[in-house]
Amino acid sequence: MASLSHYTFLAALFTLAAALVVQLAGELGARSRLSFAGAGAVSVPVIGGLPSPRQSSTILAVNAFVFLSASLVLRVVATGHGPFTNMFEFSESFAWGILALHLYFQVRYRLEALALLVLPVAVGLLVFAATVPDNIEPLVPALQNQPLLTLHVAAAIVAYGAFTVAFGAAVLYLVQRNDSVPWLPRSDVLDEVGYKAVIVGFPMLALVILLGAIWAEIAWGTYWSWDPKETASLATWLVYGAYLHARVVREWKGTRSALLLIGGFAATMFTYYGNLFLGGLHTYA
Amino acid sequence: MVATGTISLHPVRDSVFTVLSRLDPLPRLVHLLSSTRFALVLILLIASLVLAGTIIDQAPASAVADQASYTRWLEQAQGKYGSWTGLLDRLHLFNVFRSLLFRSLLGLLSASVVVCTARRWRGIWNQSFHSQVRVNETFLLHTRFHVQLASVATPAESADSVRKALSRAGYRVHTEVKGDSVAMRADKHSLSRFGTFFSHLGLVLVLAGAVAGGLWGFKDPRFVVAEGATRELGLGTGISVRLDRADDEYYANGQPKQLRSDLTLFKGGTAVRQATLDVNSPLRYKGIAFHESAYGLAAVVRVEDSSGQVLFNQGVPLDLRAADGQRPVGMFEVPGEGLSVQITAPIMGAPDSFIRPGEVRVDFYQDYVRVDRPRNLSQGVPMQVANLTFTFEREGRFATLNVVKDPGTTLIWIAGGLMVFGIVLLFYLPPRRLWALATARPDGTTEVIVGMAAQRDVSLAGEFKKVEERVRRALDAGAGDSRNHGGNDG
Repeated sequence: MASLSHYTFLAALFTLAAALVVQLAGELGARSRLSFAGAGAVSVPVIGGLPSPRQSSTILAVNAFVFLSASLVLRVVATGHGPFTNMFEFSESFAWGILALHLYFQVRYRLEALALLVLPVAVGLLVFAATVPDNIEPLVPALQNQPLLTLHVAAAIVAYGAFTVAFGAAVLYLVQRNDSVPWLPRSDVLDEVGYKAVIVGFPMLALVILLGAIWAEIAWGTYWSWDPKETASLATWLVYGAYLHARVVREWKGTRSALLLIGGFAATMFTYYGNLFLGGLHTYA
Repeated sequence: MVATGTISLHPVRDSVFTVLSRLDPLPRLVHLLSSTRFALVLILLIASLVLAGTIIDQAPASAVADQASYTRWLEQAQGKYGSWTGLLDRLHLFNVFRSLLFRSLLGLLSASVVVCTARRWRGIWNQSFHSQVRVNETFLLHTRFHVQLASVATPAESADSVRKALSRAGYRVHTEVKGDSVAMRADKHSLSRFGTFFSHLGLVLVLAGAVAGGLWGFKDPRFVVAEGATRELGLGTGISVRLDRADDEYYANGQPKQLRSDLTLFKGGTAVRQATLDVNSPLRYKGIAFHESAYGLAAVVRVEDSSGQVLFNQGVPLDLRAADGQRPVGMFEVPGEGLSVQITAPIMGAPDSFIRPGEVRVDFYQDYVRVDRPRNLSQGVPMQVANLTFTFEREGRFATLNVVKDPGTTLIWIAGGLMVFGIVLLFYLPPRRLWALATARPDGTTEVIVGMAAQRDVSLAGEFKKVEERVRRALDAGAGDSRNHGGNDG
């Protein structure tokens, strides 16, 4: 079962990398055609019944998502617990969360171009996962709390996935802020997608911190230890809190809120990787 | 501080804070604390400090409590931070989370949240419960999303159609008739406006919980008790703890699987609670939680006086390390003799020529001064030292418990729940408000305007489009009914 999980993981990695390559080739092709034809055409048309590069990329991304889901399910069957207990499992789950949120926003807002920024992050995580040990280790005593392990980390995966989508929308917004790039979505849609992704991720991260505090109180007797992973999560939550206040109360939209989203994503990645070099109570994750 | 995108149509009466803001010297402070820009700066400053405290090594509480320990800790930090150590120390960046600056910023943020929330309370209350139903045509035509429709039905019939359509779309509709004009206000998720209070109250309660824990709680992270031994908890609790049994379990690969301790709690000499605890199952008794933290070896020692009376017979936790850093060491006192005994066990997992397996070494002290010569005790073999007989009975175990009383914890859970609940209300069930006006035209038809005041929000366009379609269909159906009704009358 574990080796089957590994093969489906590799299939997901290669399929997703192919999705990214096709997407990049499609965007470059669209740009070169636009430069010949002048402004106007936005999407690459379907020629002779074949899907366009963007459609092909989406189909590949959906396939990668299916492979990744299968890999995670097989891993759960093999280990007997959620795939959240070491860097390999968490990276794979994080990539799954990014893909899930990306596909949701792509379908909801018809934003194929978002893949340009989001897929590289997911591919990067899978490549990283491929470089770390994927041994199946039994759970250490502190992790033996099934409902909290699953809820705490599952919420983190959704939050991180949503923040990655927000990051992608923010970077595209900065490129498209004057609506001068015809092959990209409108700037107000990108701005809105960034916001919508944060309102998915922000309460989820609050839940991650709250569930983590409850678990820490049960296992270690203290709900907050100023552990690097805890403090990095708090800093990330504060950055997105600042973003929401700036956007909703002070009506910060556009460039300034996009920059905050990019800062928030940097904090997210730091939260994710920080414990690798900072140590602390989360060193197993 | 997170607000929803509706507008208030009510004149805001002077609140306590408006009155306070006119009094010197408060106005500037009240103005500052109620500024969302100031709150934003505070949040970003706190986030920056938290990030700094995450990246830069933080001195442990034990080091900060004592200047000599802190100096030693700084010397170690010098190896990592070099010439930056002095500057980082002066900026309190080795102690960010206990620094006056960090605590002041948290205090200011709490004050800002309280002032902002109090100032906005009346406005949100009025918006939710006392907003006017009728707005004029000019206002409606200036809303971000609006639609202007015509109907052959009367204003009352048209309004009824619109009301039904909005109700079906999940809106609660209030109607006001004035002459031949019918005005409506429709609200969806109206009470979600209060989500901002829940989330901000949660934030303040988190800090209040932390303060309560600091003021009225206690913590002993290294409460060590050996198997079979009973120890007083102290701290004014009157509780004693007996470790009946300690057990550790391992996976096949040698990795720890679980630690368990059977504990009995006594109060006034009576057993009041007995339970088995493990890492994820603490024992809780009257607000005090006992958490499994670590375990180790103990030596069960028996001491008798010359008359055969047993003076001591229990496990001695070997929870310290000898000067060589390898041999486990423990101490106990012989009751009534003023004698302290140090027990040293052999090096674990390596040959030890000084203390052999099955032996422990005993050293004797009185008032920190060594008395008599050290001896090796073999298991089960009594040894006479002065007028006392020492026997190393067997190896045992000890458990290290983290004993915590934190009266702020419940408040923290309530606060966390309020924060998440408030955030979910605000962002997943956002309040929506529409106004509609059905007015008779001179040509006998009815003009219907429906408008939604909103900030720029792409998804609201979708919501309004759905409402508009429903209203159009309802008006068409109503107009048909009206024509049929009119035809019958004719």
